[in-house]
Amino acid sequence: MKTEKIFSAGIDIGTSTTKMVVSSFLLKNVAGVTHVPRIEIIEKTVLHQSPIIKTPFINKDMIDMKKIEEFIFQQYQLAQIAPTDISTGAIIITGESATKENASEVVHTIADGAGHFLVATAGPDLEAIIAAKGAGTLQQSKNSAKVIANIDIGGGTANMAVMQFGEVIGTCTLHVGGRLIEFKDGKIQSISPPLMRLMEKWSNPLAVGDAAEDVRVSQCIEEMVRTLAMILHGQCTDEEHPLLLGHLPNWHKPVDAIVFSGGVASCIYENECTQRQYDDIGEKLAKMLVQHEQLQSFLWLRPEETARATVTGAGTQTTEISGATIQVDAEVLPLKNVPVFNCHMDATTTDYNITVKTAVERADDLFSIQNHRSPFALYFNELPYLSFRDVHALCEAILQHLATRCSKDIPIIIVIQSDYAKIIGQTIQAINPTVPIICIDQIKVETGDYIDIGEVLPSGVVPVVVKTLAFHSK
Amino acid sequence: MNDQLVSMITQLVMEKMEKNTGSQTPEAVVTPIEQPAETLIKFFDTTANRSTEITEPMSTSQESLIKLYQQGVPQQVNPAPATFEQPFNVAVTIKPFQFEATPLTESVQAAKKHTPARIGVGRAGTRPKTKTWLKFRLDHAAAVDAVYGEVSEDLLQKLNVFQVTTKVTDKEEYITRPDLGRRLSDESKALIQQKCKQQPKVQIIISNGLSASAIEENVQDVYLALQQSLSNLNIDIGTTFYIDKGRVALMDEIGELLQAEVIVYLIGERPGLVSAESMSAYLCYKPKIGTVEAERMVISNIHKGGIPPLEAGAYLGTVVQKILHYQASGVDLVAKEG
Repeated sequence: MKTEKIFSAGIDIGTSTTKMVVSSFLLKNVAGVTHVPRIEIIEKTVLHQSPIIKTPFINKDMIDMKKIEEFIFQQYQLAQIAPTDISTGAIIITGESATKENASEVVHTIADGAGHFLVATAGPDLEAIIAAKGAGTLQQSKNSAKVIANIDIGGGTANMAVMQFGEVIGTCTLHVGGRLIEFKDGKIQSISPPLMRLMEKWSNPLAVGDAAEDVRVSQCIEEMVRTLAMILHGQCTDEEHPLLLGHLPNWHKPVDAIVFSGGVASCIYENECTQRQYDDIGEKLAKMLVQHEQLQSFLWLRPEETARATVTGAGTQTTEISGATIQVDAEVLPLKNVPVFNCHMDATTTDYNITVKTAVERADDLFSIQNHRSPFALYFNELPYLSFRDVHALCEAILQHLATRCSKDIPIIIVIQSDYAKIIGQTIQAINPTVPIICIDQIKVETGDYIDIGEVLPSGVVPVVVKTLAFHSK
Repeated sequence: MNDQLVSMITQLVMEKMEKNTGSQTPEAVVTPIEQPAETLIKFFDTTANRSTEITEPMSTSQESLIKLYQQGVPQQVNPAPATFEQPFNVAVTIKPFQFEATPLTESVQAAKKHTPARIGVGRAGTRPKTKTWLKFRLDHAAAVDAVYGEVSEDLLQKLNVFQVTTKVTDKEEYITRPDLGRRLSDESKALIQQKCKQQPKVQIIISNGLSASAIEENVQDVYLALQQSLSNLNIDIGTTFYIDKGRVALMDEIGELLQAEVIVYLIGERPGLVSAESMSAYLCYKPKIGTVEAERMVISNIHKGGIPPLEAGAYLGTVVQKILHYQASGVDLVAKEG
């Protein structure tokens, strides 16, 4: 049966390194001939892996965007792919790079120039999830009932994602990384601010210029690993912990197994650490992790990718394919960074009008800035079984509250978890033939997520990238 | 054993089981002893044994699974059905039986999400548990009912369709003589000629086929969604009608009779144990007597647990559009599509 090939790119700008992958996805109708088609990605092939380069900086607070762009276009050439051929993927800026002054400018500029449908995104929780997917840990968790934590340790941060049965059940990020202390000529060249805060309690903290072999360096690393172990054991309750970035762990099940990915992990699983030629604490941190007593109670599993986990995840694991029976106005695509609002409806809902009205009002409160109405996607997660009349009532309600404000820039965007997009889109069209509408299904999102919807592919489906900020726990 | 008696005993067995699983008491299950010579079933009262129930579960061999009398000394039940019923009504109030949910491990729950198959149901020795077995019987019975059921007059009125028949006279003949289900009765031919629009772009027909419940449950939503979809696409529809006991290939004769460009045939599927309410939509471009099966297309598995009826109807519209565009269906369509 016919297949269709699309290209995806992943770019990861991390604290210390930047890398890129180009891959191809094979799409195929996997439903039987007697069924409504279901298009899925049946094969992912990594076509090109870039070398891992040092993230270029102009100065301490500025990323060198030019150099990164040059790097990316050079890699496209090596992969023999034109940027215009890329139809999906993600560029992410992670770790401490995300805190630089021009971080947002960099990702957005590159996202616009580096391919049709590359999305710009960041945030430690999402990073953790993408790394876990890229390391193959999420897939691994589908094969057992174990609660597995994927810990992606790069230069600046350790991003933890905890999962079970293939679903992420929590995340947490720490300032634990290989580059938090850098050396030069056997002396300390820099210490990152979170570590300085950590040492505030010490009577004799480390300072720039101290010897690299100082015992306090080891003490520092020990403290980092101890904090990591406490977090994994669920024993850390100090919200103000200097190494904590963002929230405390939010999973509610004890962790059974751990997997490390990221640059530091390449020193854990591979005996030699030749790949990593940075004068910092990375190797020592890896050694300490392997030896630390409190981490021995976990089952240690191996990742499929270490240093390239995040970029592989960004390039191959962020794209989903919508259901095949959808209703989309091709002219308004692609759409980027559309916030999602969940309009909850269940079998007891009788008045669709009020439900939709409330949802639209609340979404406006959340997403509109100073009466400037921005587009958002109305998401229906648990639609009960609907009859034809129910669908009509629902569509009338949607039109009543959304039609007046919509234009080519602000189409009506509806995302449905179950298979209803075609009928709902079609009914809206039957009632009002001129309104631009994007109605897609079989995508799982939550309020607070952002989605990108790509251009319609020849098979009639659209690629969707869900940027999860929250996640799907029970 | 008459049916009423069987159902009553089943009810009692269920209640007994429910009680026991609640208190987690180890139990020795004793099948009521059947003595065909004189009595149908003997029941023993267990009031005297009750104190030993928990401490010595193995000694309850005398305890019957079913308690008919709550009070009194052990005694033998009068086998006559009339007296059997009376105390039963006094002692136990009848309520619809429901199994309590069995706690499942997380792994089984995760696996169950991926299949409607009867997995993780446990076993009793080498046999399925009563609950599983009854559910299986229920599904089987639903399948049989679906085959022998009829589509209600009410529904046909709601859909505003008239009814025609095939050469088949009854269900038995329908099942044993598929060839007769592929031909219209003579009166029906005349009726169709008289009532239907000739040479329609799309002719929609409906038949109970092998599952009346499939039609009963799904046809309205599919039909309305399909109508809407075709009207959005500006495609005209002929006069829809309902065929009692039709087979798929009956569309050939109707195609010849009405000279329709496309026929969409909504028909109940042979029921299975997962669903007895599954409907199919067969489509064909200009079917005529002698049309080979390769020219037909089908969208199957239309039911609440499969392809949602509304979505199927909406999708069918686009399939019809494609057939009209390429002037072909089935294998020919795939070839023309390239």
